[in-house]
Amino acid sequence: MDNLAKALAADLDRSFPDLVSRLQHGVFSGMRQLTGDHHRAEDLTQEAFIRAYRAMQTYPADRIRAMRLRGYVWTIALNLLRNQVRAESRRPRSVRLEEAGYLPADPPDSHAWRRRWKLLPTVQRRAVILRHVAGLSYREISEATGRPQSTVRSDVRRGLARLRSIIETENNHWRSQ
Amino acid sequence: MNLKEELDRLLIAAPPGVEEGVALGTGISDGFSVFESPLGPVVVTFNPRGVSAVDLLSEGFERRFERRFHRGLLEARPPRGWNDLILRALAEGTPGDLPVDLRSVTSFQKEVLDETAAIPRGQTRSYGWLADRTGRPKAARAVGQTMARNPVPLVIPCHRVVRADGHIGHYGLGGADNKRTLLRVEGAIG
Repeated sequence: MDNLAKALAADLDRSFPDLVSRLQHGVFSGMRQLTGDHHRAEDLTQEAFIRAYRAMQTYPADRIRAMRLRGYVWTIALNLLRNQVRAESRRPRSVRLEEAGYLPADPPDSHAWRRRWKLLPTVQRRAVILRHVAGLSYREISEATGRPQSTVRSDVRRGLARLRSIIETENNHWRSQ
Repeated sequence: MNLKEELDRLLIAAPPGVEEGVALGTGISDGFSVFESPLGPVVVTFNPRGVSAVDLLSEGFERRFERRFHRGLLEARPPRGWNDLILRALAEGTPGDLPVDLRSVTSFQKEVLDETAAIPRGQTRSYGWLADRTGRPKAARAVGQTMARNPVPLVIPCHRVVRADGHIGHYGLGGADNKRTLLRVEGAIG
């Protein structure tokens, strides 16, 4: 990531697609779990990168070189999610996928996970998804959410414990059927 | 499977549209679509700032675009509402309400192209007239070069600019025959 920040500082337009290709799967997968909706996750992912690009266009090279990119993109993504932002209309739209008959694939056990996430407090849900689905470090989660690292660690730990107990209840339920 | 492994499985590939959507939305790449025009099918390229180029649909248009504008090109639909504006601009030979991205030309050239955009259908003007309009009566040659550099022919009707001696002059979009065809369709010449 450090090399990528250097490359972005040297030539934003040339290197930005590399940033997208490296971070898009984590951002999309995290958004997919946070929203429970494929299309909304896709829109938010795109929008987060577009806004990151526009902001970085205005930054001096030194600032870009020092950026921690994953935490930065996620800060924007979580803001968009919080503010229910929709994409602007003045934007060309890709056609290739419609023509290829692309159908979105669901992650495994979508229905079960949607239910489980609802049973978690928001901060725990967000912390677990960022840590264990999107693959952020505690430091990056702290940057993106504005919560201290120690709090984030405990959000994750409590969230995981809660999930284990939810899943155990599910298993007991099925066993008793 | 333990919980962390289950969570790992929720990391899935982003849909293939994300990268293209970002490239188009940032303007790192322009989008293109093919439209009908009085000269047959043409490629129109666009980005969030406006329509950036018009070219004949022929082999190598993508390479020509990338070489001139230093941006990539992806097949795309224009931003909402622009489709009709593009069709009307091509049919009438004027930008109307269609935004045009003229970042690729100098400020003098932009001034000349803005004047050109206002030449009414069915009429012609000379290179010298345009030079006068921009306050540089001796710049007729530079005006001619500007016409050759017009990134959006048909939309900005550089075909309506002819030589003062009545000769039809050059035309960047496929040569003088196309220029004659357009002026004939518009009733500017017999």
